Amino acid sequence: MMLPAASLIKREYLRWIRAPTWVISGLMSPILYLLLFGQAFDLGKLLPAGTPASVLTHVLSGAPNYFSYFAVGMVAFASVTAAMFSGTGIIFDKQLGILQRTLSTPISRRSVFLSALTFRGMLTLIPAFLVVGFALLLAKVPGVAGLSVASGVTVLDAGQFLVAALILSVAFTALFLSFGFAAQRIESYFGVVTILQLPILLTSNAMYPVNIMPTWLQYLVGYNPISLAVNVMRMSLFGTAGYPYAAWVYLLGLLAWAILFVSLALLLASRALRTDGSPSDSALSRAIAE
Amino acid sequence: MAGAKTPNGHDVVIDAQNLRMIYPGAAGGAKGTVAVDGVTFQVRRGEIFGFLGPNGAGKTTTISILTTLLRATSGSAHIEQIDVQSDPDQVRRKLGLVFQKSTADEELTGRENMLIEAGLYGLSSREIGGHVDDLLRQMDLAASADRFVKTYSGGMRRRLELAVGMVHRPQLLFLDEPTLGLDPQGRAGFWRYIRHLRESQGLTVFMTTHYLDEADQLCDRIAVIDHGKIIALGTPRELKDSVGGDTLEVTVTPGAPDPTNLLQGMAGVSSVVRAGDTFRVKCSHGEALIPKTVLAADQAGIGIAGVTVTKPTLDEVFLQLTGHAYREEGESPHAPGDPEGAAPGPNGGRP
Ligand SMILES: Nc1ncnc2c1ncn2[C@@H]1O[C@H](COP(=O)(O)OP(=O)(O)OP(=O)(O)O)[C@@H](O)[C@H]1O
Ligand SMILES: [Mg+2]
Repeated sequence: MMLPAASLIKREYLRWIRAPTWVISGLMSPILYLLLFGQAFDLGKLLPAGTPASVLTHVLSGAPNYFSYFAVGMVAFASVTAAMFSGTGIIFDKQLGILQRTLSTPISRRSVFLSALTFRGMLTLIPAFLVVGFALLLAKVPGVAGLSVASGVTVLDAGQFLVAALILSVAFTALFLSFGFAAQRIESYFGVVTILQLPILLTSNAMYPVNIMPTWLQYLVGYNPISLAVNVMRMSLFGTAGYPYAAWVYLLGLLAWAILFVSLALLLASRALRTDGSPSDSALSRAIAE
Repeated sequence: MAGAKTPNGHDVVIDAQNLRMIYPGAAGGAKGTVAVDGVTFQVRRGEIFGFLGPNGAGKTTTISILTTLLRATSGSAHIEQIDVQSDPDQVRRKLGLVFQKSTADEELTGRENMLIEAGLYGLSSREIGGHVDDLLRQMDLAASADRFVKTYSGGMRRRLELAVGMVHRPQLLFLDEPTLGLDPQGRAGFWRYIRHLRESQGLTVFMTTHYLDEADQLCDRIAVIDHGKIIALGTPRELKDSVGGDTLEVTVTPGAPDPTNLLQGMAGVSSVVRAGDTFRVKCSHGEALIPKTVLAADQAGIGIAGVTVTKPTLDEVFLQLTGHAYREEGESPHAPGDPEGAAPGPNGGRP
């Protein structure tokens, strides 16, 4: 029966559409990054004058300029950052008794989680698309760096871009959503987010090219799910030259992360929704709940 | 197949056997809280079953176990012969629940709250729309149905909770203090509707309330729970009879001598309790005692300001059973032959 899950999604939608401040605050940071950071810091300017363009293109793995390279990273950054907020609604639902009421109805625990994942996952794509649109728009403004894509981008490439963005957002939405199910208070939730946020974002290639990093960091960055998604997205827009593997290899790696995160999240969420009277049971969820 | 029956042939809807719930202690392994301590009872089809007890007695915990929201530490419970622990999904289909605390979504309207709840039971607004309108009318919310819940008054919220709990037409309703904060009309209207559903559809109700008069009028049977244990179970009549008859309230004129010994000496009197100038006399036949009391007091030179007889109420049952509820300020129980009325300890009324 589809109706119970649809009913939950409808509730989330009604609440979201009536509190649009969340949309605006969710957009602020990626757009500021594009406007300020992306404009101020042009990696290309660090190269000595007269360096052939191919050198920069090599460092940027095919991207025509640093802003274009950076903008694609910001797409992933925006959706992962948005995903980090996806568990907050669950905590409020819990505190307001709304979750308890939901759990007293015949809807399965799994559907409660999956409907939240569906809706929140979709929401995290909105800032991602807006970043793409905004970056493309900047290219039309004279005197400002913008996102320029290779001339041969096909519908298939765009589809590949989309799939990578979708898998990335599902993976991180699931993870942070399950922290929301496990946490009892908003403070403990944001405690975990704060601990994870920088390591996740900084060990990716969203901002800096991998080629210029020390080898040990390159390993870390290479396996980061954000890097895998960003690789696919950059290959879609700038071509595959300079990448040791084909796009599907990165996609597969990303998918593996997503499967891991979603399974972990399902486990954590169903433990948190267990009805033995304790807030939560596992060491991890207890650590989050405390 | 025949359903489970009581020895008297009643259909059993709720069957709780030796339920225990120990909430785990705080992290670090402190000893847990025993919230429910071996509770056994059965609720029959079409019955309104009251679950009464002081704050913290274990009422909400018991409801949470029966409605699958909490797994009991031990014991078993069946709803319509279905085990709440092994088949919670089926059990959830069978019941409606009104929580003690508010659960409505503030950002939605009253009607949206109801329709979304119905959706969780697999009912579309097409199937249930007419019933939703009807319930909103019954709960006197028709005019505010399309306003956001955050604009509702306390009583309106409570009435919405009731409507949401009944939106899927459950045949078994759990009501945790359903009429808390409702005005007299709201209470009367709600109970009229519940009675109507019981008569027309055989609705079974399991309810808690702190309004004892309400329980007295409505409930077919009542269980009194205290410290997680059921300490009495029976019809309101049976419970009231168990506290031993009527109460004669004798008020003496200010400064009059203490009539305790006099009253104690009269036939049919079991105890005398002092509250200021008023003496509460527990006796078997209150009316018959009035003329005797007046006469005896007159002869003893004790001025009488008034005498009233009250039939036993659930408040007294409660007081006697739990020893700590609803006692008036300044009242101190007199032990017979103890005219000074030595103040009892905090648990003075406890066995
Ligand atoms: N989640 C919990 N964790 C730990 N202890 C709890 C929890 N919920 C209830 N308790 C304890 O269990 C006991 C019974 O609580 P319960 O809520 O069942 O009482 P109640 O009879 O519904 O009281 P009230 O009339 O105040 O609603 C109390 O001592 C309470 O402190
Ligand atoms: Mg309670």
